[in-house]
Amino acid sequence: MRDFLLHNVSPFPADETANGHGNMQIRALRDGFVFHLLGRSDTDTATVEKTIAAPIADLGGELRQLAPYQWFWVGNATLSQERVAEISAALPSMLALTDQTHGRVRLVVSGPQVRSVLAKGAMIDLADDVFAIGQSVMTQIGHIGAMITRTGDAEFEIMVLRSFAESLWHEIHQMAAEFN
Amino acid sequence: MTSFRIDGGTSINRDDVRQFSFNGEKLSGFGGDTVASALLANGKQLVGRSFKYHRPRGILTAGAAEPNALLTIGRDGRRDPNTRATMAELFDGLEARSQNCWPNVDFDIGAVNGVLGPILGAGFYYKTFMWPAAFWEKVYEPIIRKAAGLGRASYDPDPGYYEKCWAHCDLLVIGAGAAGLAAALTAGRAGARVIIADEGAQLGGGMRAERSMIDGKPADIFLGDVMGELISLPNVDIKSRTTIFANYDDGVFGGVERVQKHLPEAEINPNRAMERLWRIVAKHTILATGAEERPIVFGGNDRPGVMMAGAMRTYLNAYGVAPGKRVALFANNDQAYDTARDLEERGIEIAAIIDPRTCPDVGYHGSARHIAGAVVRDTAGRKGLKSITVRHDDGRDEVIAVDALAISGGYSPIVHLACHRGARPVWSDDHAGFMPPMDADGLTPVGAVSGVRGIVACFNAGANAACDALVGLGISARPALIGADVAGDHVNDPEAAGAQDTLPVWSVPSARGKAFVDFQNDVTASDINLAMREGYDHVELAKRYTTNGMATDQGKTSNVNAIGILAENKGVSPGDIGTTTFRPFYTPVSFGALVGASKGFEFQPVRKSPLHGWAARNGAKFVETGLWYRSSWFPKGGETFWRDSVDREVLNVRTNVGICDVSTLGKIEIFGADAAEFLNRVYCNAFLKLPVGKARYGLMLREDGFIYDDGTTSCLAENHYFMTTTTALAAGVLTHLEFCAQVLWPELDVRLASATDQWAQMAVAGPKARATLAKIIDDDLGNEAFPFLAAREVSLFGGKLRGRLFRISFSGELAYEIAVPAGYGSCVADAIMEAGKEFDIAPYGTEALGVMRIEKGHVTHAEINGTVTPADLGMGRMVSAKKDDFIGRVMNKREGLLDAARPLLVGIKPKSPSDRFATGSHILNVGADVRLENDQGYVTSTCHSPNLGHTIGLALIKGGPERYGEEVVIWNGLAGTHVTGVICNPAFVDPENEKLHA
Amino acid sequence: MSSLVKCPHCGLRPREEFTIRGEVPSPRPASDAPANAWFDHVYLRDNPRGEHREYWHHAGGCRRWLVLSRNTITHDISAVVDASTLKAGTKS
Ligand SMILES: [Zn+2]
Repeated sequence: MRDFLLHNVSPFPADETANGHGNMQIRALRDGFVFHLLGRSDTDTATVEKTIAAPIADLGGELRQLAPYQWFWVGNATLSQERVAEISAALPSMLALTDQTHGRVRLVVSGPQVRSVLAKGAMIDLADDVFAIGQSVMTQIGHIGAMITRTGDAEFEIMVLRSFAESLWHEIHQMAAEFN
Repeated sequence: MTSFRIDGGTSINRDDVRQFSFNGEKLSGFGGDTVASALLANGKQLVGRSFKYHRPRGILTAGAAEPNALLTIGRDGRRDPNTRATMAELFDGLEARSQNCWPNVDFDIGAVNGVLGPILGAGFYYKTFMWPAAFWEKVYEPIIRKAAGLGRASYDPDPGYYEKCWAHCDLLVIGAGAAGLAAALTAGRAGARVIIADEGAQLGGGMRAERSMIDGKPADIFLGDVMGELISLPNVDIKSRTTIFANYDDGVFGGVERVQKHLPEAEINPNRAMERLWRIVAKHTILATGAEERPIVFGGNDRPGVMMAGAMRTYLNAYGVAPGKRVALFANNDQAYDTARDLEERGIEIAAIIDPRTCPDVGYHGSARHIAGAVVRDTAGRKGLKSITVRHDDGRDEVIAVDALAISGGYSPIVHLACHRGARPVWSDDHAGFMPPMDADGLTPVGAVSGVRGIVACFNAGANAACDALVGLGISARPALIGADVAGDHVNDPEAAGAQDTLPVWSVPSARGKAFVDFQNDVTASDINLAMREGYDHVELAKRYTTNGMATDQGKTSNVNAIGILAENKGVSPGDIGTTTFRPFYTPVSFGALVGASKGFEFQPVRKSPLHGWAARNGAKFVETGLWYRSSWFPKGGETFWRDSVDREVLNVRTNVGICDVSTLGKIEIFGADAAEFLNRVYCNAFLKLPVGKARYGLMLREDGFIYDDGTTSCLAENHYFMTTTTALAAGVLTHLEFCAQVLWPELDVRLASATDQWAQMAVAGPKARATLAKIIDDDLGNEAFPFLAAREVSLFGGKLRGRLFRISFSGELAYEIAVPAGYGSCVADAIMEAGKEFDIAPYGTEALGVMRIEKGHVTHAEINGTVTPADLGMGRMVSAKKDDFIGRVMNKREGLLDAARPLLVGIKPKSPSDRFATGSHILNVGADVRLENDQGYVTSTCHSPNLGHTIGLALIKGGPERYGEEVVIWNGLAGTHVTGVICNPAFVDPENEKLHA
Repeated sequence: MSSLVKCPHCGLRPREEFTIRGEVPSPRPASDAPANAWFDHVYLRDNPRGEHREYWHHAGGCRRWLVLSRNTITHDISAVVDASTLKAGTKS
């Protein structure tokens, strides 16, 4: 079994032609990492930023708070399990890390009507002057819990539990269909 | 066929001819027409039959309040019953049908109910169908269902797509008449985020019926200009065809937008919603919904040809439709005289203006005969109006031949949305109507809804209200100066205003024949009088006794008149009677819009295991478990009956080795310095000393002492634990733990993260499980190095991958659960299949898993059903006596929970192997009668055991293990069967746990 | 019932994101507390007309347990706080 080939299988449908071909683009992010950071209940974002400053220097990525004392640390680098273990071990006990790279999946929705598309599922006000680039929220898109992050002028990243990937993919396409 | 179409019409486009059919007859209209205006233009006054008496009915209004003209529009899945013809836009190819008539609208057998009128009065349903009870189901209901009823829903699925959306704004403006437009423009120019919603296809509201020049322009040109400016403002969102139907709490309004309902089928974009349900979050709201004209209650007021004066004016001016050749007006207010003026201007003969006031509108200088101090007491004509009978002030009757009658009994502000949150409207004698409560926070009624009359005044009020509202939001605005100059806006000129205000005429005392209050539910003035005489004079009782206001129009044209009649008879003010409660929805909303996209496959999201694809490739049959799809069995080589597959899978695990997807089990990562202490408090058994690298079975109690869930928790490192829960309670357990951590013991350092989706987890079970896994796992799996309940990270494929391995077993076999990052799951499962090939490995599903756990006597939520304690399941000794505190500790020791007579877990099998029994069967002692007091317990789980070759079960039975070997009766009350069973040890297989520790 | 709830961590959210556990009972007694204290805590609820305090879980957002004070007649919410802040206090 030593010559066994490992594939990291994406939960999103393989059919890339299903992506938006008109005004709306829908793109699965198949690479990168998602760490769930859990701080002791006296941890603030500034402390966490300082704590992870060393490992983040070469990892890139950003911190997105999902709850008090909890953050997702999300980046596009591909990391080995050993590297993740090293990073985890390097953190002080006030900050626990659990790898969610496989547990949470991301896709990017963009296009001029992206806010109208997301308004079909999310209550959050995503207006340009209300929801700034880089801002994130944990909320729901329809019945699916999701973290929505604004990544560009008219671009949002949606992160959901892996098991919902197919439903999310389907729903976002349906919501965007009228604009394509 | 006579055409009633004359020239003019601000809303229609005569170059756009549209064909449609009404009850099969081919007709034509124009773009911009409603079905109602097109029918009237074609001389179709009779459009339906009434609900109870099947009386011929025509079009009464030109808007949302229409009680009569309910049609079924469209066909097959796109058929919409009970559509108000006054709101439905005409499109090419539209098919409309009358309802509530058989065999047809012109000849309706049900009209005999008109003759039976006296026995169909108020309270009819309550009085007539009381007894005998059996008659209700067999006789009365079928007859009522056949004779009455509105349109029928289609049996075909609606092919249209529907959706629900959220929207946000600073200012929501409801209604796009003069007040609403001025408010929207004012706020829009100030840069506020504005949503203006109107139920009409075009903005303008009542102004569309206006012939006056506004700011020197005809109404439609003026409206076009305003619309153009609003469209040019990016911060203004115009929602036409959108009815705001509810005012929920916290500034959230519900609305329904008819996106494509007005399009012929060929033009419908299947990717766009037919209707959209909006939830609008508004910081402030301007309510500019206007006022509803009230009918007058007199004899025969429901005859086709009788129409609201304002509606008649709308059909005339907005649609270029003449109401008839010779028209009369019966009105008690000045505003209605606008209709007379416009009719005269268009050369339509006015036979008479009948006004109950002695000193009517001094502003009227037309040529029509004017009869003051008089009323209309009766009408004549079979399917259309032929004449009216006027009662003069001297008591003399006069019959006047007319083919249309405009009526106006005053105006009721459309206060619904101001009252949905519980506030009550306030009666005003000055306005002869119920005014909106003015103290509703975040909502400003403005324009006709707050009693403002005249277009100029409404423009002003709207603009000023928007300025005031924006100040509250920190936005400064200047009133938009539009509509300052409206020719002939006599209402605005106090000098020219009427000498006498609206004189309420709740019902005409001399009315002859049926005088309708509620047209849609066929409630007459005498019904309301009867209700009063019988003691139902409270407004809510009168409503239910007479059914006034309970039809699909919710009494928009009838409620205030009914209140007026009650008030008049009691000699009090309508304000003393008060209104019934206003609740959503303002107008009917389709089920399609309420359901949105959640139907069929989209009914709810689906959760798929990372091994779903692997299971599918191996031929799995899936079963829905909550949102999850789980593989339930894997048919092989011609197996067609599920149990053939399940039996084979079970035997294969017991003899060789099997692999099962257990990824859906809940998984929770637990961190923190106090994690062990936390676990010790949430489990009833001890967890404080669980060593690193070990798993432990745990029982979680509820605070009331009963079992909540079970599962295993492993200690992966100091201050790092990994908990598994049942699939069913994965979310519930996490929520429970969060409650404990955040609410009960926030002082503990414990941090919880759901990790269910991170891992693909496989159970590998059977005598060859170790041999199989040893081929892909680098670590030593021997009993010494990796004993039962070992749990730790391992290396796979010569260091290519790291996973978590747990030596735990649900099947009772030598078994492991291996968890790897989800994306690698299907590769690892393939590798295990490959490794186990030489041992005849086969996948098994949840059915086989279920059989094996029953064979082994392991419990699930079939046993942990909310009524059992650890002791009931033979696990009483797990409950720690040493711990100071844990959830459920105190209540678990309650007297009732320690009762020796409690049913205890046992196994049960048939005395004769060929007998079968079902889950849910009750246990009786041999020879005992089937009586509750003889109940010994019940069967919680059953299956066919392929190892034993007969049915086995788990049961909760009084006396429990003490009764092993005793014969009992297994009684199935549903199937009516009695089977002799034998109570036994629930561990049917390997009771000594030799296989487990192999 | 409120349509929007202002989560102290997430801001204004629709009520669909929350699950309601019910009235905030008397605080969890010590394990040696008398039986009636336990019965009060586990079973007794007031169901008042007017001001009411309930546990709401922001399941669709931050997953924090909140204590929401609302009026059962007017539906007005007077306060929403993180439930962990109430540990020291007793029932209102
Ligand atoms: Zn929150």
